[in-house]
Amino acid sequence: MRYQCQLLSEVEKEKIHTETLHILSQAGVRYHSQKALQLLEAHGAHIVWEEKVAHLPAELVEQTIRTCPPAFTLGARNSAYNYPLPSPVTRYAMDGTAAFAQDFESGERHYGTDKDNELAMRIFQKMDMGVMAWAPVAAEDKPAAVRPLYEWFTSATFCSKHLQHELHTSQQAEFLAEGLIAILGSEAQVKNSHAFSFIYCPVSPLVHDGPMMDAYIELGSLDLPIMVLPMPVPGTTGPASLFSNLCIANAEALSSIVVYQLAHPGRPMIYSSATGTIDFRTGSYTAGTPEMGLMSAALAEMGRFYGLPATSAGCTADARSPGPEAVLEKMTTSIAPVLSGSDILVGFGELEGDQLLVLEQIVVDNEIAHICERLFQGIDSEPEKVLTSDILQVGPGGHFLGRKSTRRLSRTNEFYLPWLLDRHTLEQWQELGRPGMYTNARRKVEEILAGPLEESLPDHTRGALDEILARAEQQLSKTNVS
Amino acid sequence: MSTELFEQMAQSIIDGDQEVSADLARQALAAGLDPLEAITHGYMPGVNKVGDDFACGVAFLPELVMAGEAMKAAIAVLEPAMKASGTSRQILGKVVLATVEGDIHEIGKSLVGTMLTSSGFEVYDLGVDVPAAEILAKAQEVGADIIGLSALLTTTMVKQKEVIDEVARRGMKVKVMVGGAPVTREWVQKIEADGYSEDAIGAVNVAKELMGLKK
Repeated sequence: MRYQCQLLSEVEKEKIHTETLHILSQAGVRYHSQKALQLLEAHGAHIVWEEKVAHLPAELVEQTIRTCPPAFTLGARNSAYNYPLPSPVTRYAMDGTAAFAQDFESGERHYGTDKDNELAMRIFQKMDMGVMAWAPVAAEDKPAAVRPLYEWFTSATFCSKHLQHELHTSQQAEFLAEGLIAILGSEAQVKNSHAFSFIYCPVSPLVHDGPMMDAYIELGSLDLPIMVLPMPVPGTTGPASLFSNLCIANAEALSSIVVYQLAHPGRPMIYSSATGTIDFRTGSYTAGTPEMGLMSAALAEMGRFYGLPATSAGCTADARSPGPEAVLEKMTTSIAPVLSGSDILVGFGELEGDQLLVLEQIVVDNEIAHICERLFQGIDSEPEKVLTSDILQVGPGGHFLGRKSTRRLSRTNEFYLPWLLDRHTLEQWQELGRPGMYTNARRKVEEILAGPLEESLPDHTRGALDEILARAEQQLSKTNVS
Repeated sequence: MSTELFEQMAQSIIDGDQEVSADLARQALAAGLDPLEAITHGYMPGVNKVGDDFACGVAFLPELVMAGEAMKAAIAVLEPAMKASGTSRQILGKVVLATVEGDIHEIGKSLVGTMLTSSGFEVYDLGVDVPAAEILAKAQEVGADIIGLSALLTTTMVKQKEVIDEVARRGMKVKVMVGGAPVTREWVQKIEADGYSEDAIGAVNVAKELMGLKK
């Protein structure tokens, strides 16, 4: 059977739900969006207008959550990469909007650029465990007012998988819509394919951004799915116990979903989270901890509790540079949510608590994903795996290398064969210069970047996007200090 | 009696107990103790102890923050008495703090405010999503020595430069210190900020340096 875990009991899930409803009705939630407050008031929420705080009645929350579709397909520019949600397996997303990137050649750290997004997307495109792209860095070389548009279009240009990203203001929405339609050819195609989605992060504790929420409401007309990703950190922006941090994360998720559903009932929603911790000795944010893995897994289970597609942050790390610390942290934050059945883990390619893009880490993370997948597949006891007859025939002594079953199963997923971990003999390994997984990952990156562009957008579409960006820049840019 | 009370005051800061620190301040006033003496010899040793312990990894962040809050609670009791008697505690400098326009992330800025206050600065915390004009107006109104600007996003940290440019354009003498997750020394040099720190304790040291004081 598959190796699955249940972290929260049914009683615990009910308890989180009950506590959440209490938080939403009593403490309330601050919405910096006028549109959101008006919608909520029209549907029975009590609004304290001078504080922009909405108190959400339990009935409103419970009824509205039920309008979310329980399943939909996360489409892709190349439909071969479509990914139905919920999924019986876990796949991965590129981590996104890091402030920094590590230069592949020099190893130097620099602010993220448009070129970093291009390079990372070309690598991610080739990773078989990756299903969802997200602009890996904030492109600091582009004007702030139009930066997310560059990030959207560059990511879409160099990766044909599902693309998720963000907008910061309503003014950016029309340009994004125009660009997405240019990419897929028609408005209907954008709506029906669900090839693009938004990521939405509430500001913990219990606050919603105004311009971002307004922009996402506005593009409800394109039926773009929204992944809601609360990020309370226990003891700082969230309460100090993991359990209560789950409650506040859940409250932030539900209070987001309620607004988006009231605005566009039936709009696809994805329940998610990125609940890191801090190191109380320094105050540093940490995303590669066992507590992060536990909370990600628990919240994936809460997403399922509400009958929603459920994804999580995971495969995350705090290491400052690629190496054993990064791998340890990424395994730690992957295993629990994978075993709890998260649909997608968001974390490929970044270190330093999601702030540093490292190209070779994308490849290493793909290997980690495979290893976690093998764990999840568990032990199969179907008839073709019950090999008692082989045991009887070989008997005491001898070996099984000559059995047909061995020959057959050695080439199946019964045994995961790593493609980065070095398995040469000692002497071979020494002769090869003692390669490690990062050496091998760097070779893979070099190989991909030296190869042809794969499934990039055609020139005429790229030209159309450039024209949209130029227009957006002219109309929206006020400040550019890059 | 004073020595014992001073020790209790320091301990109330170390314990991060606002109620006790404020109660001890009231006791000190009732006993006719000089409020300045209470701050200097009672509470400040506690603040310094927790600050030093945090710097070497012994104290944890919540202990540091709660020490700051306990100090603020004591000062709130003592300050009216000082004003009434025509004295005042030594203010190391006036700081106007804000998270820049377009950014509603609060915790980093608030931590810096608490640490600065407990270290002897007078802090005017304008909150989050504050336009440059409002920050500058407040700085001019209170005669600020330092403006502290927080930003969590690369898209909003550009607003730090807006404020700095406007300070220069107006010829204001105020120093500007910046912080936030995406802020680096490279950025600080680019926008010509006067000071930068990775964390709240470091921000106190930077503020002291900007005031020409030793760390």
